Amino acid sequence: MIELKNLTKRYGNVLAVNGLDLSVSAGEIFGFIGPNGAGKTTTIRMMGGILRPTAGTVLIDGIDMSRDPETAKRRIGFIPDRPFLYEKLTGMEFMRFTADLFGMGDGLFREKAESILKMFSLHDWADELIEAYSHGMKQRLVISAALLHDPRIIIVDEPMVGLDPAGIRMIKGLFRRLADGGTTIFMSTHTLEVAEDVCDRIGIIHLGSLIATGTMADLKRMASSEEANLEEVFLRLTEEESFGA
Amino acid sequence: MKEVIVLLKPRIWSFRNGFSTSGMREKRLKYIFFGIIGLAFWVGIFALFYRVLTYFQGTEAFGDVLAYKLLSMTLVTFFSLLLFSSILTSLSKLYLSRDLTLIHAMPVRTEKIFLARWFESALDSSWMVLIYSLPVFLSYGIVYKAGPVYYGAVIFNLVPFCLIASSLSTLVVLAVAGLLPAGRLRGIFVILAGILFILLVIAFRLMRPERLVNPAAFSTVMMYVKSLETPGSPLLPTTWIMDSLKAALSGSASSALFHGALSWSFSLTLIFTTMGISGLTYLDGLSRAQSVSGRHFGLRRTLKTGAGPLLRFLPGPVRAVAMKEVRTFLRDQTQWPQLFLILALVAIYLYNFYVLPVERSVIKMEYLQNILSFLNMGLSTFVLAALSARFVFPAVSNEGPAFWIVRSSPIPIRLFLRIKFFFFLIPLLILTETLIVASNILLDVTPFMMGLSVITVFLMVPAIVAMGIGLGAAYPDFQSENPAQSATSLGGLIYMTLCSGLIGAVIVLEAGPAYTIFMAGVHGTGITPFQWLWIAIAFAAVPVICVLAVIFSMRWGEKKLTSDQS
Repeated sequence: MIELKNLTKRYGNVLAVNGLDLSVSAGEIFGFIGPNGAGKTTTIRMMGGILRPTAGTVLIDGIDMSRDPETAKRRIGFIPDRPFLYEKLTGMEFMRFTADLFGMGDGLFREKAESILKMFSLHDWADELIEAYSHGMKQRLVISAALLHDPRIIIVDEPMVGLDPAGIRMIKGLFRRLADGGTTIFMSTHTLEVAEDVCDRIGIIHLGSLIATGTMADLKRMASSEEANLEEVFLRLTEEESFGA
Repeated sequence: MKEVIVLLKPRIWSFRNGFSTSGMREKRLKYIFFGIIGLAFWVGIFALFYRVLTYFQGTEAFGDVLAYKLLSMTLVTFFSLLLFSSILTSLSKLYLSRDLTLIHAMPVRTEKIFLARWFESALDSSWMVLIYSLPVFLSYGIVYKAGPVYYGAVIFNLVPFCLIASSLSTLVVLAVAGLLPAGRLRGIFVILAGILFILLVIAFRLMRPERLVNPAAFSTVMMYVKSLETPGSPLLPTTWIMDSLKAALSGSASSALFHGALSWSFSLTLIFTTMGISGLTYLDGLSRAQSVSGRHFGLRRTLKTGAGPLLRFLPGPVRAVAMKEVRTFLRDQTQWPQLFLILALVAIYLYNFYVLPVERSVIKMEYLQNILSFLNMGLSTFVLAALSARFVFPAVSNEGPAFWIVRSSPIPIRLFLRIKFFFFLIPLLILTETLIVASNILLDVTPFMMGLSVITVFLMVPAIVAMGIGLGAAYPDFQSENPAQSATSLGGLIYMTLCSGLIGAVIVLEAGPAYTIFMAGVHGTGITPFQWLWIAIAFAAVPVICVLAVIFSMRWGEKKLTSDQS
């Protein structure tokens, strides 16, 4: 479903992402974790077609992002880490705008938008200006808009930021249900418990390179610590790399 | 095309929703206030051009030459303004807007996103120039008694005029954004635009346009303009538009259409070329724009070695806030051109006094000099109030969403406001005193007037600065993307009104006593005890008013800012 081949991004002399090779299958939830400045957001932006890689390829459902970005983006629901929302639009107008860009027809839109907004407890706020929304509501609206066109792949950067415990539980459940239905989810997060709870596989990126990939059990083996939780595994692997570097 | 229209929808919907949100009363007041100012400016331009053109018409043989030269110069000026304004707007729209991540994640072709952004940028950069060019063209139409062909030609030419400027600017932005990160470019372009504008203002002032009303000098100017009768370069878009309007003014529709068509064909070719080039370079520039921009001109080192030690005498928390003020102010590159502009305006202000033909006046020279000195006091404090509205009033709002740091710190709001007060008081006091002393020296006023001006300004500057800080704290806007715009809010309007009231009150209080003392000196007559009493009360009232303005406005700001926390 998602395939990254030798994906590289360089900003001047800084190597932000260094030859990333990775594939994520259909129906899989992949957690992407790493310290601050490791290259997570840069990778996600390249996957979303917002940033052009210096080298390498991003394949979305077999479609090369650099060759046919429109078709590739049509398959993705993209949720950035610091989402921008037009403050003077209402929630429903924002959904309408997104739907128009994805070419959804009028008939399908209204029903779909209302059901998603209901699911995210935003229905009563649909006709209010976004400037009146709380941080968590804005985050829920961005996720709602990303799900509007039934994407086959969801790429999400820090999905739980600003959400309350009920919201976090709802998103975790939703992601699991979507993945069971065949949707691929690529998720970057700092919340290691969430990654441990939800993800089928986890990749650890450090200093622009993927230093470990696998299931929780695989990562524990790599860190030579069968009893450790993800936090301990993460710290051990990233420290080893830092000292080795 | 459908996708381009969809991409423009958030702008249209946001504009529509802006009228149905809270705070409409304040907005309406603001629109009315600025609408009146804008209309006055529009009428002023029309009146000026109408007067000048009528004057030119009265001079045989040279009238048309001068009028066409003026039109040509005006078109070049408008074109330059459009070019610079388009550079800044297209840079922001194409590379720096906060919604770009959202838009580029959507399944829309990059060329369409580019087209929508370019269109928005062309519209944003042109509308004001278009509106304020209309009185110019209208005055030509009326003075030359032009028919519908001329007015049609104006509309027919203005559209490609703006499109050409916008496309050329976008091409420049596309080329340079491929080499440097866009965030860094904005600072450079802003400074360049500022410097260019300042040079234009200074150049215009040094030409001494007031000499045009002097008949002796005017004949020389006419000869000079006559020698400039040569046509502009046929390769310049302004020449095609000039030729088209000139033909339309003389009623030649076919010639007007031909030159207008030249503009249209060039503008469409240019748009097509820009779209083609954008396909090759836009995404690369956008990727580059997302890299971190570097620091400029080693400011950090300057601050460490310069302002840092100067503020060492202050206690820790006060020094921390003061250093933050200095650093954030100097590192904001958008402030620099405005600082240059202030310096240029000060130079022009003083130059005006230098070239003032006081000796040619029919009023007695000594009397006139001192009247002017008195007016100068009001004028310079009004300049100070305008500067404060731009820099001092938004000082509290400038904290933006980071104001929580101040609120959660152990520094009382009162101290925080006082630091802001002194940060602005010192430079503004130096600036205003320099202005008043230098202009009084140029006017060669009496020592009494010099002393009175220096002391009055010394009292008024703290009052005006304190009112700026106090009212800025009472009407803060921490959510604004551009806090400098808070000067145009309701609070900003109240501030300017109160400042005008204070300046007026001080001038009125001092005018009578100053006149009495001055005339007694001129005529060598004495001052009665009753007059002395009146003079003493009036002069004593000035510091009282100023001190009260400082105390009340600072307290009010503190109270409002503190009560907002609860």
